[in-house]
Amino acid sequence: MPPVSEQSSDADLLRAIAAGQTAALRLLHHRHAGWLRARLRRRCADPDVVDAAIQDTFVAVWKDAHRFAETTADPAAWLWTIAVRRLVSALRGPAHRWLSGPAADVPDDARTVPSAEELVLLGVEHGALGPALDRLSPELRRLIEATALDGLTVREAAQLLGIPEGTAKTRLMRARTRLRQLLA
Amino acid sequence: MNDWHIDAGLLGEYERGELDPSRAMAVEAHMQACPPCRSSIRVDFTWLTGNWSVVYDHVHAPKAGPGHRLLRRLGLPEHRIRLLTATPALRWSWLAATVTVLGLAVAAAWLLRSGAGGAVLATSFLILAPVLPVVAVSGAYGPPADPMHEITGTTPSAGPALVLWRAISVIGVAMTMAATAGVLLPGPGWFAVAWLLPALLLCTGTLALATALALPVAAATLGGLWLAGVLAASRLVHGEPFLSVVFGPTAQLGYLAAAVAAAAVLILRRRRFDLGASR
Amino acid sequence: MTTVTVSGLAKHYGSTTALAAVDLAIGVGVTGLLGPNGAGKSTLLRCLATALAADSGSVRMFGLDPAVPADRTEIRRRIGYLPQNPGLYPNFTAYDLLDYVAVLKEITDTRQRRAEVRRVLAEVELTDRAQTRVRRLSGGMRQRLGLAQALLGDPDLVILDEPTVGLDPEQRMLFRALISRLGEQRTVLLSTHQTEDVGALCERVVVMNGGRVVFEGRPRDLAGVAEGRVWLSAAPPEGSAAYWRNADGLYRTIGDAPAGAEAARPGIEDGYLMLLGRTAVEVAR
Repeated sequence: MPPVSEQSSDADLLRAIAAGQTAALRLLHHRHAGWLRARLRRRCADPDVVDAAIQDTFVAVWKDAHRFAETTADPAAWLWTIAVRRLVSALRGPAHRWLSGPAADVPDDARTVPSAEELVLLGVEHGALGPALDRLSPELRRLIEATALDGLTVREAAQLLGIPEGTAKTRLMRARTRLRQLLA
Repeated sequence: MNDWHIDAGLLGEYERGELDPSRAMAVEAHMQACPPCRSSIRVDFTWLTGNWSVVYDHVHAPKAGPGHRLLRRLGLPEHRIRLLTATPALRWSWLAATVTVLGLAVAAAWLLRSGAGGAVLATSFLILAPVLPVVAVSGAYGPPADPMHEITGTTPSAGPALVLWRAISVIGVAMTMAATAGVLLPGPGWFAVAWLLPALLLCTGTLALATALALPVAAATLGGLWLAGVLAASRLVHGEPFLSVVFGPTAQLGYLAAAVAAAAVLILRRRRFDLGASR
Repeated sequence: MTTVTVSGLAKHYGSTTALAAVDLAIGVGVTGLLGPNGAGKSTLLRCLATALAADSGSVRMFGLDPAVPADRTEIRRRIGYLPQNPGLYPNFTAYDLLDYVAVLKEITDTRQRRAEVRRVLAEVELTDRAQTRVRRLSGGMRQRLGLAQALLGDPDLVILDEPTVGLDPEQRMLFRALISRLGEQRTVLLSTHQTEDVGALCERVVVMNGGRVVFEGRPRDLAGVAEGRVWLSAAPPEGSAAYWRNADGLYRTIGDAPAGAEAARPGIEDGYLMLLGRTAVEVAR
């Protein structure tokens, strides 16, 4: 295993982490913690919970980096999926769980994630989807965001937003119908 | 992807939360796929290193083993547990050896329990069990058992308190193992406890003697004296009464008294455990 | 400011004299203890580190007396000590080892202890090796780990016995930078038999031989001891036992001037060798 540096790719860093190099974990953390933080803070107002979710993420990466090799996912997308799930599990219990969650939150593949790219291809920036999303009511839009952009399951999305799973299901259905109407 | 990138103005609006929801979503979707745009997010270095240090500690800090968790449940503070579990004598090799010897003794005693061999084995267990903790204590402190004794011995925690903490930790482990073996052993019920007071005497005696001699020498001296004494007793008295002489009520009282005397010597001379004190 | 005062300190092992009435005063800054093997350097350092009780004489550190148990514990709170053979537990990881020593140094608060372990690891540049077990560290890294444990708790007096042994040139540079930084506010006392170390980082130097202090002063004054006694000649000097050929092909000798020799500027090493030669003669008498 060659030594890692600032120039190493994310995938190389993850391989080095799987081989037990903490220097690689530090480089990966310093490279990704910033944008993960910015993105998580838009989903949770408590900075302590966000910080803990980021710490949790990299501890999980340390334990499970070897599982990354089995996926074909993009490293950044993989990290995001872990981070947002850590945030969900931190918000789940009455007391925030601290660096102790099961490794089950680490996805074996990032199947749900490409939908974010689909969103872009659909033309959020320039096409008709953007205005349509803006006209959606906030509670419906946040569900679309949690499932399509963040790659969460409906249950996780419900936990993130603090609503019952059944409510989330019906709202998601309503959101899709509404979007279809707006885009028609 | 495409040629579109997030410029500084857009990024600023995103970070301040001023963007329309759909534009914020577009920024995030793009960021996930675009390393240069990800790294253009400003990060406060103090926050970054602070956040990292928690990850670092979690990855490196000593993992709590089963013994550690048990002691924590007993209410012992974290730093005391570190002291107890890092006692040099508590190595896996020592634990494995002790468990093997005791396990073989119990197994053999059960196999031979009908014949005379079983009785001999049970008797030798009684005689050898008190020596086990002493052997353990001999490696608890100071040269040569503790290779780091010069560093350990010049910290503010050095001295009698540290010796006793370490002795307690090894004696505790050795006694638990021997007691388990004693209970599993076939034979009269009192066999399981008869060795406890001699063990106590030998341990306190070893520590008391260690205020004048090196710990391993003190342990060897007392362990040897005990074995020689028991051997002599077996020559003088024949048959079953031999056990009641060595382990009977009178003898047990004697052990207790001697242990108390040894403890008194230990307390009076405890300062001698300090490297910096003249002998 | 004087941190350590030693007067008439003596220590015997059986009939061997390790220290014979040592008098010394050491203050803030880096002090180098120079001397051949068996000169008594380690014995003196062990006495100061409270690892050994002297037979006679007195020591005062921060105004405290190491012979008094309560004072001794207080002294131990304020010193860091790297023994010649640290005996770091081979099965511990670098982090575990420092965490353990930090507990012994009474840093009982877990959060504070972790921050301190992280700090000293960074000081000796072992941050990325924290997970490695001691037995898998190279000799130089082990030596740095030994230094790191001495720095735990930010001691006022740092005692280092042969800290530069086994270091490659790069690590030696790291060591010197670190030690000279320490010496800005603290008292650092280190032993060595490398005169280069003394010239590179010590403000004061103490030369020991045969259990006695034979020189105490600035490194430049140590070089001055050999002033007018170092010679360069084109041919090997006759009648001199100790000479060597330098890179320019000239013969360098210390002592009386050989025929046709020119005086050379003495270095620390020359002064040191002069002193050792002289005391060797005195001891023989």
